[in-house]
Amino acid sequence: MLMLIMRHELLLVLITVILLLVEIFLPADRKQKIILPALILFGVVMILGFIPGPTGRLFGGMYITTPLTLLMKNILTVGVFIVFLQSVDWLKKEENREKISEYFILLLSTLIGMEYMLSSGDFLMFYLGLELATIPLAALAAFERFKEKSAEAGVKLIFTSALSSGILLYGLSMIYGTVGTLYFSDVVNGINGAPLQILAFIFFFAGMAFKISVVPFHLWTADVYEGAPINITSYLSVISKGAAVMILTILLFTVFSKVAIMWKDVVYVTAILTMTIGNLFAIRQKNLKRFLAFSSIAQAGFIFLGIIGQSQLGMTTVIYFVLVYIFSNLGAFGVVAVISNRTGKEKIDDYDGLYRTNPMLSLTMMLALFSLAGIPPVAGFFGKFFLFAAAAQQGLYILVLIAVLNTIISLYYYLLVVKAMFLNRSDRPIEYFKSDGYSRLGLAICIAGLVIIGIYSPIYEFINQFTFGIY
Amino acid sequence: MSAESLILFFIVGAFLVGIALLFSSIVPPTSTNPQKAEAYECGIPTEGLTWLQFNVGYYLFAIIFLIFDVETVFIFPWAVVMKEAGIAGFIEIVIFFFVLGLGLLYAWKKGALKWE
Repeated sequence: MLMLIMRHELLLVLITVILLLVEIFLPADRKQKIILPALILFGVVMILGFIPGPTGRLFGGMYITTPLTLLMKNILTVGVFIVFLQSVDWLKKEENREKISEYFILLLSTLIGMEYMLSSGDFLMFYLGLELATIPLAALAAFERFKEKSAEAGVKLIFTSALSSGILLYGLSMIYGTVGTLYFSDVVNGINGAPLQILAFIFFFAGMAFKISVVPFHLWTADVYEGAPINITSYLSVISKGAAVMILTILLFTVFSKVAIMWKDVVYVTAILTMTIGNLFAIRQKNLKRFLAFSSIAQAGFIFLGIIGQSQLGMTTVIYFVLVYIFSNLGAFGVVAVISNRTGKEKIDDYDGLYRTNPMLSLTMMLALFSLAGIPPVAGFFGKFFLFAAAAQQGLYILVLIAVLNTIISLYYYLLVVKAMFLNRSDRPIEYFKSDGYSRLGLAICIAGLVIIGIYSPIYEFINQFTFGIY
Repeated sequence: MSAESLILFFIVGAFLVGIALLFSSIVPPTSTNPQKAEAYECGIPTEGLTWLQFNVGYYLFAIIFLIFDVETVFIFPWAVVMKEAGIAGFIEIVIFFFVLGLGLLYAWKKGALKWE
């Protein structure tokens, strides 16, 4: 059974088709009942993904799976599952009821695109996957299309992704022009650092930097993140970014491995810029969505520390950090989503005195923010520690120093939110409410992930055994 | 390929574009009238403003047309090698039809084919 190699994608396509059929044939008044079956279906697919199966190549090498890509796909699938759980509350709102299955279909389409992107063995396939992952996202960002901000976010996302795709394609065309092939396995041998190839790489890197929202290609991030519905924002900032980081790492480590000298400086400079500017802008934010947007820009800068080492350690730490980042950022976004859905409040000031009224939510938020900042008991600390170790191993002490300084700056603004929740008093705090079961399950998974990954070291070893031999 | 050739590439590129623009401004006879500056529609002088909102229905129809367009692009090569592709190829094309048909059915059910 050759097609079992592509089981992740085929299963997802299958659920998407089922959901589309349901959407077509189900009468309008029963559409709300689709949520639970869809979640169960997706949960089953998520668990099926963990079953070991064949790996190999399909379509003449255009599609490749390795144990490493399977691991990445599983990580992404878990993240998407949490996003689904967190969005149930929002989907049940009056104005979204008609679009529930569309939400699932669009989000699954982007996931399928990302999985094809991760498994690509050819730049053409990679590009197709990238587009499949981006275009439905614009539709999702404009999901509440009668809200001006949401529509604006959709338009901004589609314009920036069109621009970035154009730049990326131009780079790819130059690679094709100099090497004469688009297959990764052949491109590796053809790339030798010729000037046109350097130009091609810069274009390619800029295109990817848009997707990861690396400074100086980050300007779309804050507006899109603020305008999009909050669950889409968390999807954009975690899953979409995580997938782009993973594929960039793979490509840099395999396709561009022979010309590391060509990209190390680029990654070095963008890492410093991204960390610093992301942090400095995050300090000034009053809106929690914008705040988390800039914090996620800064986090992308930290990830580059792992990439720059170009070692097996680097690869492992990048995946480990993305895994931790998924749990911590989804935890923070989950809390913001619950509160925003119930009360419509998104400002940091609104969270004053939250601990007195909603202690559980505040504790969850605190853990998630501690993890983002990198405070020891939770997993985020180890994620950052390993990233720094990977860079220090290569002797990049100045870069590590700047990263540590940035971590201290980031502590300030993460703790501002914690201070608002725990220490500040407010005459009109957010009143107590009971959040729905799905959100609570999602947040519980996040907290469990944060604590378990933090104290259970075999997870790192587990990832490490997959990354062996990639570089 | 060395750095010089890359620089040469840019210079030649800029040069060729410059030459083309220069020639097209020097060589042809010039005659100006206000109609020439307008966007070309069908030859008749344009009426009214062009900054109008277009009916979104046009876009919908264009997108649905794309379904059939893609279908043709894929069916032609398959039809050429139909005998060689055998039953496996036939099954694949049926799956392809199914997915495309699903898209059309969805658009139909959502009322995208109704002209309002």
